[in-house]
Amino acid sequence: MQLAVNILVLAAIYALIACGYVLVYRVSRVMNLAHGELMMLGPYLLLVTAAQFQSHWLLAIAAAVSLSLLTGVLVYVLLMRKMTGEMVLAAVLTTLALGILLRGVMVLVWSAQQQYPASALSVVNFAMALPGGARISLISALLVLTTALVYGGLFAFLRCSRWGIRMRAAGQNPLLAAQRGINLHAVYALAWGLSTLTAALAGILIALDSGLDQTMAIIGLKAFPAALVGGLDSLVGALLGSLIVAAAEVLLIHYVDPLLSEVVPFLVLIAMLVVRPWGLFGTREELDRV
Amino acid sequence: MKARTWPALATAAMVMPLSAMAQDAYVIGLTGAMTGPPASTYAPAVDALRIYIDRVNAGGGINGKKVSLILQDDSAQPGKAAANAKQLITQDNVILMLNASLSSTYAPVAAEAKQANVPLLFASSVCPQSVYPPADPLQFCTTAFAANYDSRATLAFIKETAKQPVKIGFSAMAIPLSRAEMDFAEQQAPAHGMTVVGKEVIPPPTPDYTPFATKLKDAGANWVFSWAPWVTQVRTLEALRRLDWHGDYIAWSHIEAEGELARLKDGQFYVVGANALFQDHLPIHAEIEEAAKKAGVQYPPQQMAEGWIAGMVIEAALKAAGWPATPQQLALAMSNLKVDTKGLRGGPIEWTKDNHFRTRQYYRIYRWDPAKGAIISVKDWYVYDVK
Repeated sequence: MQLAVNILVLAAIYALIACGYVLVYRVSRVMNLAHGELMMLGPYLLLVTAAQFQSHWLLAIAAAVSLSLLTGVLVYVLLMRKMTGEMVLAAVLTTLALGILLRGVMVLVWSAQQQYPASALSVVNFAMALPGGARISLISALLVLTTALVYGGLFAFLRCSRWGIRMRAAGQNPLLAAQRGINLHAVYALAWGLSTLTAALAGILIALDSGLDQTMAIIGLKAFPAALVGGLDSLVGALLGSLIVAAAEVLLIHYVDPLLSEVVPFLVLIAMLVVRPWGLFGTREELDRV
Repeated sequence: MKARTWPALATAAMVMPLSAMAQDAYVIGLTGAMTGPPASTYAPAVDALRIYIDRVNAGGGINGKKVSLILQDDSAQPGKAAANAKQLITQDNVILMLNASLSSTYAPVAAEAKQANVPLLFASSVCPQSVYPPADPLQFCTTAFAANYDSRATLAFIKETAKQPVKIGFSAMAIPLSRAEMDFAEQQAPAHGMTVVGKEVIPPPTPDYTPFATKLKDAGANWVFSWAPWVTQVRTLEALRRLDWHGDYIAWSHIEAEGELARLKDGQFYVVGANALFQDHLPIHAEIEEAAKKAGVQYPPQQMAEGWIAGMVIEAALKAAGWPATPQQLALAMSNLKVDTKGLRGGPIEWTKDNHFRTRQYYRIYRWDPAKGAIISVKDWYVYDVK
């Protein structure tokens, strides 16, 4: 039972991070290599908001997430918008440079030392007993719940809301969408904002569970194979890809060798690329763009 | 001609005073991981060293000369470290090279230092094999932790403390030094009457430590020993506790240890280390706290002992080398040096011609005492001769 819980928690972490990659790629065809750093920025912003709203942890988290949404929008407006019409590779390299810049700025502002947002918010991360002798920490349980809510919300948003339909239209055929009067820049800005918001949620929950340091940006990259396995333009794919990668990782740690956890996501990815290069639920024509 | 000469003269006028200044001071250079993933271990030590040198300069310098400390960030990347070392040695003409970074940066930095015949001091980064007897004539180390000796000291403590037969598990980070140390401890444990039930080698970074902790718990460990960067040590412990594991946990006392013991408040979490914690309230601790406060540093003073010790040793070495000092004279002085650490360590740091680590390695063990609500020393200084 504990193994199943471990798989579920790791899959939730990967899925919450991976949906940010998918949102940006699906709409703008850009692979955001600064996603890990934007994810790390969320918990650092939480440290700032925690100082303001010490006794209201929910308010502090909401403020940090809102600031992250704004950051994502600003990244598009101030930086990525200038890359519209340029080669996709140039845009991808721009995100790489943005990531390096963000890492440097975060060290300058918050130093390199280990931080604990949970202590700053006086959140006690107790463990809960589950049937079958398994246990899960409060924050891990919240992470699973948040992932479910985020995916549910995104599915509903993309299918039912006006802006969601515009995002899908812009992703499928930007020229036609623009001709139909859809403001592409607004759609792209929204996609970047939502992507950064979900990344920040993941970063905040991971940091509340186990602390925050400079390695968090690399965790963001570990979720990238999950998004690719599922298909880079599919949210369902990201969910399933995360589950596959997490299951392979946890089971191999337990039954074979813990060291395999580092390579498993990439082994699964290679296997998928050989069998089905566009991923489980990806669009076949997207392959050329990747 | 005139048009060409003036800019050259102007440049010379700007550069000359700098060169003169450099020649009128002891110039030492450091390449360190001040940013990048492992920066939390190295940046506070570098900051402490900088403050120490500033204090020395404010007090009139050494042998009447200032010390110019040049800091270069390598983000723990070997390529950057190599470029830093080359620049420090060939352009800045340092007489002492310092490394405060990951072990992967050692080879390129050591190669540059060796080529230029400049002594190399590892300060806050793990001591390489080359500083132990018979030591490389140009390499020295002040860092607290010592491969193999740390495991011997830890296993001896567990044997002495355990009230029931020890089933021990190990937790390492997937980096060569940590793995090698846990392999060594795994080999030594049976000789201490312990049963080894598991060893987890955890890759950095890991989003969730629970799968690794689950294995250690399921293996039936009642003691877990971890010798790894702090993040691996503490997150394995926290994951074990969330799984309702009630065993004893012992880990290396990195610079983060004091703050973390107080944060976790876990009576069965021991840290073994070579530096005295600030809860001892020694006069030297007050001195560091005051200096850190005055300098307005970002890091807690409790994380500064390692860099402070490096500063004390550098001051003593430069004093012994005299003025003017060449790298060769400095290396010679460092090969016969004894520095009183004023209680920051269990005894002095003593280097000889063959031993550039220290002749005696002292250990002390601390834990959080829930009854007192404070950190306590559970085993006072005990010593191993380094041969």
